[in-house]
Amino acid sequence: MRRPPRLVARTLTVTFVTVAIILSVVFIVLMVDARDRVRAAEVEKLSVAEKVFTALDARRQQEQLATIATVAENPTLKAALDTYFTESAFTGLPAEQEQSLRDTVTVEAEKLAALTGADVLAILDANGRIFVSAGPLQDRWPRNARIEIPAGTATFQDITAMPQGAFRVAGSVLSLLDRDIGALVLGTSLDANYARELSNLASADVVITVSGAVAASTAPAAVAADLVRAGNNAGDTATLNGEEYAVRRLVGSGPARIYTLASIDAAARTATRDALMALATVAFGAFVLAALGSLWLAQTLAEPIDRLSGEIAMMTASRDLRRPLHLTGSSRELDSLAEAFNELVQGLTTAEADTRAAYLGAIRALAATLDARDPYTAGHSERVSALSVLIGRHMELTAAELDVLRLGALLHDIGKIGLSDAILRKPGPLTVEEYDQLKRHPGQGARILRQVPFLAPHIPIVELHHERPDGRGYPFGLRGDEIPVAARIVHVADAFDAITSARAYRPARGTAEAIAELQRCAGTEFDPVPVEALVAVLPLSTTTLEPALQELLGRQLV
Amino acid sequence: MQQPVVGNHRGRLTLLLAALVVAPGVYPAAQEPPAVVRGRVEIGIPVNVRRPTSAYPTRTVPAPKLAPESERRHVVVYLRDARPQPVMPMRVAVHQLNESFTPRVVAVTVGSEVEFPNDDPIYHNVFSLSRAKNFNLGRYPRGDTRRVRFDRPGVIKVFCEIHSHMSATVMVFDHPWFAVPAEDGTFELPAVPAGDRQITAWHERLGDTTLRLRVESGRSAAADFVLPVPEQ
Repeated sequence: MRRPPRLVARTLTVTFVTVAIILSVVFIVLMVDARDRVRAAEVEKLSVAEKVFTALDARRQQEQLATIATVAENPTLKAALDTYFTESAFTGLPAEQEQSLRDTVTVEAEKLAALTGADVLAILDANGRIFVSAGPLQDRWPRNARIEIPAGTATFQDITAMPQGAFRVAGSVLSLLDRDIGALVLGTSLDANYARELSNLASADVVITVSGAVAASTAPAAVAADLVRAGNNAGDTATLNGEEYAVRRLVGSGPARIYTLASIDAAARTATRDALMALATVAFGAFVLAALGSLWLAQTLAEPIDRLSGEIAMMTASRDLRRPLHLTGSSRELDSLAEAFNELVQGLTTAEADTRAAYLGAIRALAATLDARDPYTAGHSERVSALSVLIGRHMELTAAELDVLRLGALLHDIGKIGLSDAILRKPGPLTVEEYDQLKRHPGQGARILRQVPFLAPHIPIVELHHERPDGRGYPFGLRGDEIPVAARIVHVADAFDAITSARAYRPARGTAEAIAELQRCAGTEFDPVPVEALVAVLPLSTTTLEPALQELLGRQLV
Repeated sequence: MQQPVVGNHRGRLTLLLAALVVAPGVYPAAQEPPAVVRGRVEIGIPVNVRRPTSAYPTRTVPAPKLAPESERRHVVVYLRDARPQPVMPMRVAVHQLNESFTPRVVAVTVGSEVEFPNDDPIYHNVFSLSRAKNFNLGRYPRGDTRRVRFDRPGVIKVFCEIHSHMSATVMVFDHPWFAVPAEDGTFELPAVPAGDRQITAWHERLGDTTLRLRVESGRSAAADFVLPVPEQ
């Protein structure tokens, strides 16, 4: 059968399961809630980013236009440009002159490009063709390429797609008092760098499309491609490449579109991870607390129980049921259990004492009945018992051993019950057959006592009280130390009483004679130690042995 | 022989033409006496006028009002295939007034001096990057004047280093057959040698427009321009 679990296992299980259920509910609520909040947050973030971008961009463009308008008022630039085109139209320019004027314009353009920090800066002629370009990306604006100049405004800005890429352009017409001689245009390339800058500004991915094709993107290519496909249908959120994105259009003029987008799934993953980390920390703390609490609870419950069961185990081991259990004072239930146990033990003790008294009474009656069959042996068992106890006490046996000795001695001849009166009371020597029957009485007594578990300790005395140290005794012929001390004592006391008692075929002999006989046979028939003990205790009652014995027996066999 | 009348410089040109008459062998192929070419210049399309772009828009100088008629004063009509002739120098003044050069277009003979008096209450500068005459007169205040002598024929663009929107054009000829039309667009080229001639009207924005016409001795020829000539 399976052993029941320990108390601590039960408390741990209960608290852990409770904590786990609470944490699970919190986890589910968090997961469901986190995504909604993340979606709202991402949409809001992009909305803010759009506002910031719009405001910053409007300001930046305003400032840029002001800068361009200022730098366009460059007399050298205008003079060289106007001289170049006027003279080349009038008479044509010699190479040297053309180069000189062009260099003048180029130098001015490069100065302005450095000053404005533009990706590319171009000086256009009156027809909108690039005359000179300068700046880091000047190669993308080759000479004679056209850039549309809107009519009627002094400054302009636009997004234009060139073969070499899309540009945000801002420009100012170069004019003399009453006529335009060209234009000065600054270009910002809508390339990966621009997307990256914008992306940093918006803290989100940026996709730039020109004429429906991705020009630059900080988002994965598949996402950008999906965005182009979704086009203007994309609302605040769109599913791109299988993930949900918050989308916002920053710029929608001309051929170019600039979108900013943020993955809701990725943000949700991050938020979920953060929440899980927090939850894991809480869970760890909760489990530690639960474990400590459970251990403490189990400890306070189990410790008094362990104490009680320890006491009971000690009681059982020492067979001492007289002392009651201590009340633990830990709980009312446990105290009433201890009290109930104490009452039970008390009842058991009383019952056992009664039983024991009843048994003793019965045994004494049995022994007395046996003795009564032969007038010569009347009181023999009682006397052997008393004498054995005297000897045993002198030999410093323990109280328990003396108890065993007393009863064992009382019953030592119980096996003679099965003998016929003819043998038992035969006045004269026994025949071999009769003697054989007589020698069976220790075994017979042991068989009788085996019927009563209560009498088991006394069996060796009954069975072995005719064994002799020299091995010539019966029924087994044991030698020396093989014979229990109690049996040896009873053997001596039995012999002493037999010698000092009258028999049908001889008179009683004196104590001194009996002792001499015993001492003579000590070491062969008798163990010398009980014999000496007997010699030591007898002087106390040499003259009044019989009354003294009676008194002794009367006191001890209550 | 008719008296040529060219622009405001009638007196000087009289001397010049007198010299021409003295030396008739300049046109050996043209034995016949010269004739007057008269004509009229019309600006056929409106010229877009943009307000000056400036980082500092409002100034004390009012925005110029350019009537279409005055645009005709920005045209120079000249004989295209003329051979170089000895010519008399002229004196012309280009004023700097209201942040602009006035007149904006002048035509002079080789060797002429052009004066640039500053009539504005502010400093001005006059410079040119042109091949025919490359100069910089520096900055000077109101009332001051500087002059430049033009010794080579050609077109010279003149600018102000301080005010980038100011410009003027000086056309220098090595022959006497040129004119700037009057306000009504009429002009007159005197003593044009007879024969097949090309007359060109040049406008600073609209470029060249050239007419071919036969000049017959003793008779005046007409050359009317509508600028620009529609492309055919």
